[in-house]
Amino acid sequence: MKKRLAGIGLAAILALSTAIVGCSSQPAATTAPKQEPSSQAAAAPAASGNTGEKVLTFASGSDIVSFDIHDHNNTSTEAVHVNMFNYLVRKDKDQKIQPDLATSWEIVNDKTWRFKLREGVSFHNGDPFTAEDVKFTLERVATDQKLLEYGNYKQIKEVKIVDPHTVDIITNETEPVLLNRLSRLGSSMLPSKYIKEKGWEEFLKNPVGTGPYKFEKWERDDRLTLVKNDYYFGDKPKWDKLVFRSIPEDATRVAELLTGGVDIAVNIPPSDMERIESNEGTHAVTGPTQRVMQLSLRLTPGTVTENPKVREAIDLAVDEKAIVDSILGGGGTPTRTRVTAGNFGADPGLYNQSLYDPERAKQLLAEAGYPNGIDITFSATSGRYLKDKETAELIQAMLAEVGIRAKLDLMEWSKFNETYKAKKFGELFMIAYANSMFDASLAFDRLSTERAKGESDYSNGEVDALLKEAEKNMNLEERAKQYVKVQEIIAEERPQIYMYQMNANYGVSDRIDFAPRLDEMLFADEVTLK
Amino acid sequence: MRQYLLKSLLQVIPVLFLISVIVFVLVYCTGDPVSLMLSDTATDEDRRILIAALGLDQPLHVQYFTFIGHLLQGDFGNSFRYDMPALPIVLERLPATFELAFAAMLVATVISFPLGILSATKRNSFLDILFSGSSVLGKAMPHFWLGIMLILLFAVELKALPVSGRGSWEHLILPAFTLGTGIAAEMTRLIRSSMLEILNQDYIRTARSKGLLESIVVYKHALRNSMIPVVTIMALQTSTLIGGTLITETIFSWPGMGQLIIQAVNTRDMAIVQAAVFVVAFLVIISNLLADLLYSVLDPRITYN
Repeated sequence: MKKRLAGIGLAAILALSTAIVGCSSQPAATTAPKQEPSSQAAAAPAASGNTGEKVLTFASGSDIVSFDIHDHNNTSTEAVHVNMFNYLVRKDKDQKIQPDLATSWEIVNDKTWRFKLREGVSFHNGDPFTAEDVKFTLERVATDQKLLEYGNYKQIKEVKIVDPHTVDIITNETEPVLLNRLSRLGSSMLPSKYIKEKGWEEFLKNPVGTGPYKFEKWERDDRLTLVKNDYYFGDKPKWDKLVFRSIPEDATRVAELLTGGVDIAVNIPPSDMERIESNEGTHAVTGPTQRVMQLSLRLTPGTVTENPKVREAIDLAVDEKAIVDSILGGGGTPTRTRVTAGNFGADPGLYNQSLYDPERAKQLLAEAGYPNGIDITFSATSGRYLKDKETAELIQAMLAEVGIRAKLDLMEWSKFNETYKAKKFGELFMIAYANSMFDASLAFDRLSTERAKGESDYSNGEVDALLKEAEKNMNLEERAKQYVKVQEIIAEERPQIYMYQMNANYGVSDRIDFAPRLDEMLFADEVTLK
Repeated sequence: MRQYLLKSLLQVIPVLFLISVIVFVLVYCTGDPVSLMLSDTATDEDRRILIAALGLDQPLHVQYFTFIGHLLQGDFGNSFRYDMPALPIVLERLPATFELAFAAMLVATVISFPLGILSATKRNSFLDILFSGSSVLGKAMPHFWLGIMLILLFAVELKALPVSGRGSWEHLILPAFTLGTGIAAEMTRLIRSSMLEILNQDYIRTARSKGLLESIVVYKHALRNSMIPVVTIMALQTSTLIGGTLITETIFSWPGMGQLIIQAVNTRDMAIVQAAVFVVAFLVIISNLLADLLYSVLDPRITYN
């Protein structure tokens, strides 16, 4: 009797466990019906599959966040999305604006841009692409305050449909960077009819775009599979299938590349680059990015860094070239501006420059009234950026050499970010900023008196005026000059000390040709099979 | 027995309640999800809007009661990261984690039983010393180190097994060994000591004196009776297994609950963390209950009346 009861109990628990598994093994939210088993996908060698189909496999450190193109601010997610969706205009390999879903555009007046849309374009589900889709897409992100990209699109007041293939985009203010805005994250055109009929949740499960590759299957934190869109409006897609794998551990990602499991692995640690290069069948590729590592200083009255000579001493104490060479394996370019080459308004005179001069730094400290040195707090991230901890420790040592005793406060990213957003750092903190707008306006966003309040407390009336004028200046030549002037002032007054432009490291199979882009997007059709 | 089962299941309720309080408070004390969600260009106003939209401007106790209210309806809230209900996302990962955990337990069982029994029956022999030494080594090797070493040897050098991912049974071998080795080490030592204790009992001497074959004495009389502590340890390993999957799944890019938890913690995705902790707690409770029931099967003297 007891044994029977025990048996029933056991059976009940097993049934309960099975029920849990059963509930969870319903078709995954992101899985399209009638898909091949994952084992087949996993077994397919990179570059060309067993069946002769051309498969390109990427590996990155994290999975895509979502298919909600407006509700993420993640470069690596966008790097995947660009293969499924199209913008109205896109940046080519040289970051020049080119037509995409819009074939031409003109400025109607200060606040109105007219775009002529490409005709005969269909979404992956067959719906035609029309002006309705542009209105739906841009007005969603420009009005829904909950969306993460809202801040970058709230400048758009409305989208007026002129005819089914013409739209007017009306902005709140004069908007010289509208084309930059529309060729980046958040501007992918969405299928309005499909979303209105099926609902947003269905779109997130089975996303539909106009791009050269269409959604097949997403196994979260494992792989996203896209297949070619035979009806793509542009050049015929080069690959039959794209696989984007998520492999968080660096050593595993490198091992997958070395064994031919993936064709392109991103975010390779500098220490593994030589190994990939020397391995038969793979090579290492590095390229500049939009990210600049910098030191932010506090100019709040009462702080030692309020003194411009102290700020200059900090700048002169840091040997950017040594950091790039010794820690990053040469993967970076010293810079004295955040507006690096390839961005609108860049000042080439400040790029690839370093002012390292420790002797002068000591003199400056003495001139500032601190012959015995100073004590400051230096906050930095640990594990957020490539070799950030090591970089911060080296900077601490460099500062110590000239008499600046920096108390290094290394923080895990979420803690750092919390302090950063609360503007609670001390005299110095280290952070890297990207610039998805490819425009100087974003680079100096935090240096206007209003935005700098509480953070750096930097205030310069001339900078404020120049930034305000440049923001709305439709005379691009004059606008570029205004930003160059701002860069000169910032380089002189140093509320921020720019150190180096960061490179992105890739491991690549010898079977393919791959050239990294400045914006770090992974356009599969820019990758060719040798 | 029925009463015992009912009582055990009722005890789950206060445990889960306590867990809800602990998890809620811990998650809120350790970070601010809004900072992680906003872009670098976000203004203070953007921040205020997002906080209000997520209901994070409410007092902590109000947020907790809202959370509990939803919880009672089986709603753990939406994941910030995925913008979808959290529980289905966690449950979606369970099969992968179960697959890995069962494979690891199988590896542990296959390794530990022969080694433990041999160590006990050949006490103080060379084999016993070798196996005991290996157990210490197996327990001492951290998962992340062992996993990477196995990848380098079997996948990169020998090219015998796939490096990472989930798919065929071959993908399962390296992560299962990585996760199973530590458990095997612990179980080997336990089986050895448990067997040694039983082998010194009078009834074993009686069995031997009856002229029974040594294999029957060991496998029929001794092994079954030494299983009670082993079953206890196996049940307790559920939490160890789940803990181990956090690292093993990350190393091998195994799309299970462990990897999900790590990412949820890193991004302060509270809904996912809470749902995952509840699921893990439930699994641990169930496995312990299962162990209790197994005792009475293994030893008929144990009753629950």
